[in-house]
Amino acid sequence: MRTETEKEQLHLRALVAARFEQSMTIPEAFFTAESAQIAEACWAMARRFHQGGRLLAFGNGAWATDAQHVSVEFVHPVIVGKRALPALALTNDSATISGLMSGAESTASFARQLNVLARPQDIAMGFSPDGSCANIIAALTRAKHLGLLTLALVGGNGGLLKQRAVAGDRLIDFCFVVPTRDPLLIQETHETLYHVLWELVHIFFEHEGLLNE
Amino acid sequence: MSELGGSEYDRLFYPFLFEGGKASIEDVLAQVRHSTIEKCHEVVALRRATLEQFGEQIVITAQAMAQSFANGATLLAFGNGGSTTDAQDLVTELLSPPFPDWSPLPAIALTNDIAVVTAVANDVGFDNVFARQVIAYGRPGDIAVGISTSGNSANVLAALEQAKKQRLQTVALTGYNGGKMMRSQAVDFCINAPSDHIPRIQEAQATVYHALIEVIYAVLKSIKEEQSGEHEIC
Repeated sequence: MRTETEKEQLHLRALVAARFEQSMTIPEAFFTAESAQIAEACWAMARRFHQGGRLLAFGNGAWATDAQHVSVEFVHPVIVGKRALPALALTNDSATISGLMSGAESTASFARQLNVLARPQDIAMGFSPDGSCANIIAALTRAKHLGLLTLALVGGNGGLLKQRAVAGDRLIDFCFVVPTRDPLLIQETHETLYHVLWELVHIFFEHEGLLNE
Repeated sequence: MSELGGSEYDRLFYPFLFEGGKASIEDVLAQVRHSTIEKCHEVVALRRATLEQFGEQIVITAQAMAQSFANGATLLAFGNGGSTTDAQDLVTELLSPPFPDWSPLPAIALTNDIAVVTAVANDVGFDNVFARQVIAYGRPGDIAVGISTSGNSANVLAALEQAKKQRLQTVALTGYNGGKMMRSQAVDFCINAPSDHIPRIQEAQATVYHALIEVIYAVLKSIKEEQSGEHEIC
């Protein structure tokens, strides 16, 4: 018979194995389904960078760190020989964000930053685990009106952002839905997604003729 | 690793890419789709290897961390570049957990205060930016978590060594072969994602600390149950 301690160890070992298992099956399903959209998004992003555009990234809570992560990848590529590309995380400016959050329209914080900072050739990348974060929708709506390329990295069923991606106004140019409700899995798959977007945007710089289309 | 400047694979299957800008958009998009799937398979394989080699170590590490939290520890997390954002992510998931039955735990990311980081870097040097904060914040029994894809980042290693001197519990998340941190006496627990490609290492490390958090909460729950059971007996 197993002791209580052995049972506990087996239980914990199973928890770890189950989390890793999900972290293998979800990306497999997601990237198989989305590779065509990812390739199109890389091309669109490369054309924006070629026009002098910058990446502006934003998200809430844990995804604020992803906004910062994707920005540092572009600005300071870890792979030797890749060119530095301009990217900003709107979440880094705690003074401005807390100032805007304390005002009457706290859901407009990122949108207001975009109003001042964004240029029409820029790229907006918003993260929302359920696809319905009010401040992310407001920011991407603002970005679209300003002429930016809009990307939404979401999860669950895609929420309102997915609806707005397919609806008539096409608010979102590229909407990537990680098909799970587990926030940790959504976030891990987003991390691979923005790494892949960053790694593969660079392919298009080798084909300058394709950047002017 | 398939690099876009021209891996063997690319040259074999996409010779048109290397014929001086003659590639059509359809061909390039096909290459990007292929590379996307390939990178996904890389991270899946790396997660499998990490689980096989370090699954047991993740459990042991999380049990020790849970015991420290039960004793009142604060977690200090640090890293450079993308690893800093992972340290911040670990911290926010403890302070503001994503699941309702996980209660918040005290944690500080040592890159959140840009005034401190630039002050120390400017006055003493960048190798000391985290060690200085460990001196300021670290108490015996706290937890120091250093994240480094190479396992060699000087400022992360220095902070882990400082933490050990102050009797903190020390945890390192590494990549490649684990580097100096894997062999350091100052590191109590090292969990390695065995790869030489930094983006994939970071993605596997995210799964590692997510698994650590999950086990920490499971252990804290059973510690709590044990304690309430003891109270009933009394």
